[in-house]
Amino acid sequence: MKLQNMFKKTSSRQHYIALKNARPEVPQGLMRKCNKCGAAIIAEDVKKGYYICPKCKGYFRIHAYRRVEMIADEGSFEEWDKEMPFVNPLDFKGYEEKVAGLKERTHLNEAVVTGKASINGSPVVLGICDGRFMMASMGHIVGEKIARAVERATEEKLPVIIFACSGGARMQEGIVSLMQMAKTSAALKRHSDAGLLYISVLTDPTTGGVTASFAMLGDIILAEPKALIGFAGPRVIEQTIGQKLPKGFQRSEFLVEHGFVDRIVEREEMKDVLGQILKMHAEKGFKDTDVKAARNMTGGFAKIGKSLSAWERVQLSRKKNRPVGTDYIEALFDDFMEFHGDRYFKDDHAVVGGIAHFHGMPVTVIAQAKGKTTKENLDRNFSMPSPDGYRKALRLMKQAEKFGRPVICFVDTPGAFCGLEAEERGQGEAIARNLYELSGLNVPVLSVVIGEGGSGGALAMAVADEVWMLENAIYSVLSPEGFASILWKDSKRAAEAAEVMKLTADDLKKLGIVEQVIAEPDEFTTETMESVTMELEVQIMDFLEKYTIMNPEELTDRRYRRFRNI
Amino acid sequence: MIGKVLIANRGEIAVRIIRACREMGIETVAVYSEADREALHTQLADEAVCIGPAPSSESYLNMQNIISATLISGADAIHPGFGFLSENSKFAELCEQCNITFIGPNSEVIRRLGNKAEARNTMAAAGVPVIPGSHEPVYDAETGAKVAAEIGYPVIVKAALGGGGKGMRVAGTPEEFENSFKTAQKETQMAFGDNTMYIEHFVQHPRHIEFQILADEHGNVIHLGERDCSIQRNHQKMIEESPSMALTPELRQKMGEAAVKAAKAAEYTNAGTIEFLLEKSGNFYFMEMNTRIQVEHPVTEWVTGIDLIKEQIRIADGRPLSYKQEDVHITGHAIECRINAENPEKNFRPSPGTITDMYLPGGKGVRIDSAIYSGYTVPPYYDSMLAKLIVHAKNRSEAIRKMRSALGEVIIEGIDTNVDYQYEILNHPDFIKGNIDIEFIEKM
Repeated sequence: MKLQNMFKKTSSRQHYIALKNARPEVPQGLMRKCNKCGAAIIAEDVKKGYYICPKCKGYFRIHAYRRVEMIADEGSFEEWDKEMPFVNPLDFKGYEEKVAGLKERTHLNEAVVTGKASINGSPVVLGICDGRFMMASMGHIVGEKIARAVERATEEKLPVIIFACSGGARMQEGIVSLMQMAKTSAALKRHSDAGLLYISVLTDPTTGGVTASFAMLGDIILAEPKALIGFAGPRVIEQTIGQKLPKGFQRSEFLVEHGFVDRIVEREEMKDVLGQILKMHAEKGFKDTDVKAARNMTGGFAKIGKSLSAWERVQLSRKKNRPVGTDYIEALFDDFMEFHGDRYFKDDHAVVGGIAHFHGMPVTVIAQAKGKTTKENLDRNFSMPSPDGYRKALRLMKQAEKFGRPVICFVDTPGAFCGLEAEERGQGEAIARNLYELSGLNVPVLSVVIGEGGSGGALAMAVADEVWMLENAIYSVLSPEGFASILWKDSKRAAEAAEVMKLTADDLKKLGIVEQVIAEPDEFTTETMESVTMELEVQIMDFLEKYTIMNPEELTDRRYRRFRNI
Repeated sequence: MIGKVLIANRGEIAVRIIRACREMGIETVAVYSEADREALHTQLADEAVCIGPAPSSESYLNMQNIISATLISGADAIHPGFGFLSENSKFAELCEQCNITFIGPNSEVIRRLGNKAEARNTMAAAGVPVIPGSHEPVYDAETGAKVAAEIGYPVIVKAALGGGGKGMRVAGTPEEFENSFKTAQKETQMAFGDNTMYIEHFVQHPRHIEFQILADEHGNVIHLGERDCSIQRNHQKMIEESPSMALTPELRQKMGEAAVKAAKAAEYTNAGTIEFLLEKSGNFYFMEMNTRIQVEHPVTEWVTGIDLIKEQIRIADGRPLSYKQEDVHITGHAIECRINAENPEKNFRPSPGTITDMYLPGGKGVRIDSAIYSGYTVPPYYDSMLAKLIVHAKNRSEAIRKMRSALGEVIIEGIDTNVDYQYEILNHPDFIKGNIDIEFIEKM
């Protein structure tokens, strides 16, 4: 029974005579169709909502000046090189007309807008590509404007942010276009050598010669979600190799996974993230008020002195609910901003690193991170870093060195990852490189062994000015199981091995391998870790006060002797 | 012109609007979500357009789809009902831009009245009583005491960033003030890390009294008397009646005049409701204005004999009001009970499901506005109101008896309803005496 077919409908004769007489219609421009999901969307919503589709959350490409409005403090933008004379190095036919037409239509002088602005109060030089102008391809003027802006930033000692978006080289300018890649890269090299910060923001699409030059040279590389980023375009690759490319190939997320992008930033938070990074690179030293408060902390620390066998400590160091690297980052630091990737192949989740504030002082924090659940542990590979993890750590350490930030490492690994891929990508080389580079790093380095200090995998993050250990942490050349099976051909004798290996904090302090032992409470979990983090907080403060005043030679010399004497 | 109306709503109000249109000879277009294919409004309308999946955000709140459905079906007006997009100024604006008659006030009026602070200021400026309070933030007890004395006791001290009852204290007398203020401020500092306070007159045991108004595009505004909606649970009205036992003819006239003044101050058009809090002392304060038809409109229809939905359509079409203030007479007494698919014994948990059998009462002075039928499945996605049972009799006690009789006949099988709970209220001695305020259900 369908009621629908049984109800009588409204009688067709019009009883009601309407007074108003107007036909509904949608005015031009009120609604648009999203070119990603196809939904009808209200144009005004898109404009007010950062040019993001309210339905599918897809990002629309945006004009350079709108980008300025979104990220720069109101009224702070001062444009540079607004007028540049047209050049046609190859006398390419029709090029001048095409450019003239675009100038008129877009009110742009070329495909990039440069100038100076402030972001949440921090001064910065901006370069912003505009895809409406020949897909923001890089010809002489684009290269010239970027080079000039970077040079001026170097002179004025200002950081640079470039929002990249480009189809690549400008075909109409041939080899001259190619040379812009070298020109912009060279300008950025000088800027970097002057110790200045460059943030590259990749937007949809960033391809070709721009990817292979200024876009990939940021100290920090950010990307908008789902942006196409690559050297060769996907269509070209498909035609060349005759294969269909996987979904998500060459998108921002793919680049993060492969270690080339530090983090993906949504448009809504772009201004604040940029402002935060700029601020962290402009500050130095503690904030007085913070330090005073911390100094007033007294007592509440745990006491050392539980008598446990070495094997019992081994088991405690591996205990499931023991706090992990990320817990220490959260407890000890403010404003932690994680950066991803080694810039070669991968982002290794076994290592977590980034910048943060320690009582107002910007520091680089790197932790070997175990997970708390099986799922997390699978993602973090049980904190066994791959070569990519060590390379990420080294990249962040070198970044810290460039900007004069102390480095604080948390060590907790059963050992470097043992596997086919690890060997293919040079696990040994990666560890060796870290020992080599860390020994000469120009900034203070502190390493705290918080759980397992597994052999070379731990040492690669522990060539430091001081190495501390938690009371029940262990640090050894090999796991007791491995030790027993090599020496005695019986891994079951691990407990016995643990006793003779001298791997406990107490033993290692006596051997002069570590400087400090931090007491643990009886039941050590994230709930009870405050006594530990409080003590660490005071100790780290002392450490930073002592080492940040040393000059680089003194610092590296001390570090050299620390290991030379063992 | 209004020759075809699209109803951007569902449930009993959609059915109510379809019926009014049908009587007027206006064609109707229903819109429905995928979960409402079998809904009564979908089947009853002349045409029906599916506007999206079950969640309201993708269907009944989907402005673009509703506008598209309007254009495709050739409707020239939209009735928004209540809830959903009815008080969304952006939707009203979109209708204006697309030359679609929105049956309700214009978007600017909706926007202004939707902003609580702005509405309060408009009303205060027009001389409509609002709850007296400090306009400036107060930071210390001394200044606070002066402000409180100006406002008049009892007062309530509130945190500027407040919420959830934190940082709130009532002071009944000047002696209590300092202590109350300091306690509230301390609590505020602890909870929100801020010590900004506001002070307001504390309205004690108020009734919720609202006035129905009608305003046309020619500057005529009338009121249709009050509704007493004090029987509420968690701010959800359960029973409404008109007239209110608490109003003398003089007070009714005074409040009615204030309501008309409020509507004029807001440059209001179409049907609207001014909500007041009424104290035992007879002081009343403007709370907010609802810029739409209300659930409880039938009680007003019954005591005044005026069809509010038809008036809404006529006003939207630019006609002058069919009534003058002197034509409005309150006759008898009407009570409405909301019948919801919910289980009062399980903390009023919604109870969707299939109605296996049902019988609804009728007879003289009994009206049912509903969208259910035997075999109908109540979907879990929307409001749980199934039906409204309205009775009308020559006085309140007869109306209560009629309501009890009618409630006793309601049979809805297959799902849980609040009918028995309503029956209990109708038998409660305080309700019978008319001794009610907005805390009635809490205290019951």
